[in-house]
Amino acid sequence: MKTLATILAIAAISAAAHAADNARTADYDYDLPVPGSYTLPVIKPAADGALLDSTGKPRRLAELTRGRITVVSFIYTRCAAAKACPYATGVLMQLHRDSAEDAALAKELRLVSMSFDPANDTPELMAAYSRLASQHPTAAPWHFVTTRSQAELQPILAAYGQAVDKKQNSLDPTGPLNHALRVFLIDRKGCIRNIYSSGTLDPRLVLADVRTLMMEKGRP
Amino acid sequence: MKSSSILAVILSGVVQLAGPSTRADETCSSPYLARIEGQEEFVYVWTLGVEGLGDGSDKLVVVDVKPGSSRYGKVIYHYSVGGRNEAHHGGFTDDRRQLWLSGLETSKIFIFDVHSQPAKPVCVKTIENFAKVTGGAAGPHGVYALPGRVLVPCLSNAKDKGGRTALVEYSNDGDYIATHWLPTKETAGVAGAEFADGYGYDARVLPRKNVMLTSSFTGLDNYMRDFEGLVKDAGAMRQFGGSMVLWDFHTRKPKKVFSVPGAPLEIRWAWGEKHNYAFTATALASKLWLCHEDQSGEWQAKEIATIGGEGGVLPVDMSLSADDKTLFVDSFGDGTCRVFDVSNPRQPKLIYKKQIGRQLNMVSQSWDGKRLYFSSSLLARWDKGGDDNEQFVKAYGWDGEELTPKFALDFTALKLGRPHHMLFGSTKLGK
Repeated sequence: MKTLATILAIAAISAAAHAADNARTADYDYDLPVPGSYTLPVIKPAADGALLDSTGKPRRLAELTRGRITVVSFIYTRCAAAKACPYATGVLMQLHRDSAEDAALAKELRLVSMSFDPANDTPELMAAYSRLASQHPTAAPWHFVTTRSQAELQPILAAYGQAVDKKQNSLDPTGPLNHALRVFLIDRKGCIRNIYSSGTLDPRLVLADVRTLMMEKGRP
Repeated sequence: MKSSSILAVILSGVVQLAGPSTRADETCSSPYLARIEGQEEFVYVWTLGVEGLGDGSDKLVVVDVKPGSSRYGKVIYHYSVGGRNEAHHGGFTDDRRQLWLSGLETSKIFIFDVHSQPAKPVCVKTIENFAKVTGGAAGPHGVYALPGRVLVPCLSNAKDKGGRTALVEYSNDGDYIATHWLPTKETAGVAGAEFADGYGYDARVLPRKNVMLTSSFTGLDNYMRDFEGLVKDAGAMRQFGGSMVLWDFHTRKPKKVFSVPGAPLEIRWAWGEKHNYAFTATALASKLWLCHEDQSGEWQAKEIATIGGEGGVLPVDMSLSADDKTLFVDSFGDGTCRVFDVSNPRQPKLIYKKQIGRQLNMVSQSWDGKRLYFSSSLLARWDKGGDDNEQFVKAYGWDGEELTPKFALDFTALKLGRPHHMLFGSTKLGK
C-alpha cells in the first residue's frame, strides 16, 4: 500500500507540474492581486535546525532560508491525501517550472521540500523524490531534505508550528500521519512572510507573493 | 482539457482511496480549522465572572458531551483566569492546539493549551498589551483561525473607546503581526465608501473567492454601559454600526462597503461549493440579510426577512447547517430560537420556533445538524435582571422538525457565572 500511495502521489505531482495556467479553478475562483500592490508583514523569523540533504550530508536549515526568497514545504512521502503533501509538492514543482522560464525568478527563488518522517524518508528516498525536479536544470534550486532523527526534527516542527501526529489507524491508505498542510514563504533575510494551507495554497498566489517580495529589493 | 482539470482528475483517484469523510465539528467555525473526527466530546464555555458568585472570575468551563459518558451533560472542569474582563468570544488556532479567549473590557487575550489535555485546558499565555502593540485597537472580539495565525476582529479603540476599530493579526505563537483599520468615508478606492463607519464585529473568509466580510457593532463606551440607560440615550444609540465591508482577503484591502442598518453581527458563509453567499442578522433592526455574488460577479447585500414581530427581538447569534439549508437564529429579547428554511437563500421561510429561556444569546450546532447547544449571556451590563436573568447552557436534539431537550446546566446554581461563547473540543482530530 505504501508503494501504491507513493506512485499515486508522484502521479499527482506530475500532473500538477503540467498545471501551469493562470485560469481560475473551482478551489481558487478569483482574480489575482497585482504583485507589489500589497504588503506581506513579517510573521516571525524562520528557525534553524539540523538537516540531512539528499546525499546524506549534514546541512543547517538556516543555510536554506537566507539569501534567496524561499518556499519551504513540510511533507512526508508516504502521504496520499489529495490536498496535502502531493498537492504541496505539485505547487513547488509548478514554481520550479515557472522559474525555468524566468531567469530573474530562478536567480531569486529557492524551493525546499522537508520531510517530517525521518524513519521512512531517508536521504536515499529524498534523492529519489528529487528526481521530480531534474527536468529543469536552469530552474531555481530545489532541495529535498530530511533529518537524522525525531530528536532533531521536533524542535524544527515546534518552531514552525507544524503539527504532526500519528494516526490511530496506521494502515490508513492516505498515510499514517495526521498533519496540517503548511507551506512557508521566507524572505531573503530569513523572515517568514506568509503561511499557506489547503485553503490558500493557490500556486498563482504563491508566485504573486514571491514576486511581491522580489519587488522589495531596493525599497527604502 | 486544462491542465488544472487534469490535476483534479488525477487527484480524484487519491480521494477515493481516502475513504468516507469523517468531517465533523461546529458548523460555523473557520474553514482553515483542523476538524474533529466523529462527534464532539467537550463543549468549552467562555464564562463571565459574576461578583459574589463562586470565585467571581472569568473562566473556561468544560462540559462533557461525549456519547455514553457517565458524566454526559455535566461540568467536569473549569479554569479561572483571575478577574473579570468581559469574557465574550474566542476561537482555536488552525491546528486546534490552542484556544484563544478574549476580554472585551480589558483587551486581554487568554491562550489555552487544548491539545495536551483536551478535558483540562490550561492557560499558557496571556496577551496583556493588546492596545499598545496594535496601535490602539481595543475590545478584541472573535478569534478566527487562519493558516499559522489568527485574525482578531475588534469592537473599539483605546483612544476614544468608540466604535472605530480594526482587524488584528497574531501568529499562533502569540506574537503581533499587523493591524488593519476598518474603512471610513475617507478611505480611498473603496466602492460604497459613503456607507463606511469604521466599526467592526465579525470577520469571516470565503477562501475560494478570496473575499472576507466584516460586520459592525459598537464601541466600548456603549457595550460596557448599562443597557437601560443606553437605550434612552439617543446620542449613544446613534453610535452603532450600519455597514458591512467586503475585503480582498489576501491583500487585506477593503473593496466594497454595504449599507446594512441596525448593527449587523454574526456572519455565516454557506459551505456549498457553488454557494457564494453569507447571512447576517441586524441586532437593532431585527432583519435577516444576504450578502451574495450576483450573476455578473458583483457582490451585493439584500434584506431578505424580518426576525420576530413589531418592535424587534434583538437577534444575536445564529448557526447555519452544514448543508446550507437550515438557519437557526437566536434572539435575546424573547429568548427564542427561530429556525428558517434557507434552501432558497433569497426567500427564507420560518419553519419553527422555540423559547429556550428568558434570555438567549449563543448557539453552536454540530456538523451533522443533530445537536445544538445554547447559552444565555449577552454582555454583563446588558443581561436582564431579576428572575429573567437566567444563566444557562442547554443542549437540544434537532430532528428536522423540532428541538428536544437533552440537558440543561444552571450556571448560577453552579456558581460559575454568565456563559457566553461555546466551542467544541475532542481528543480526536483529523487533518
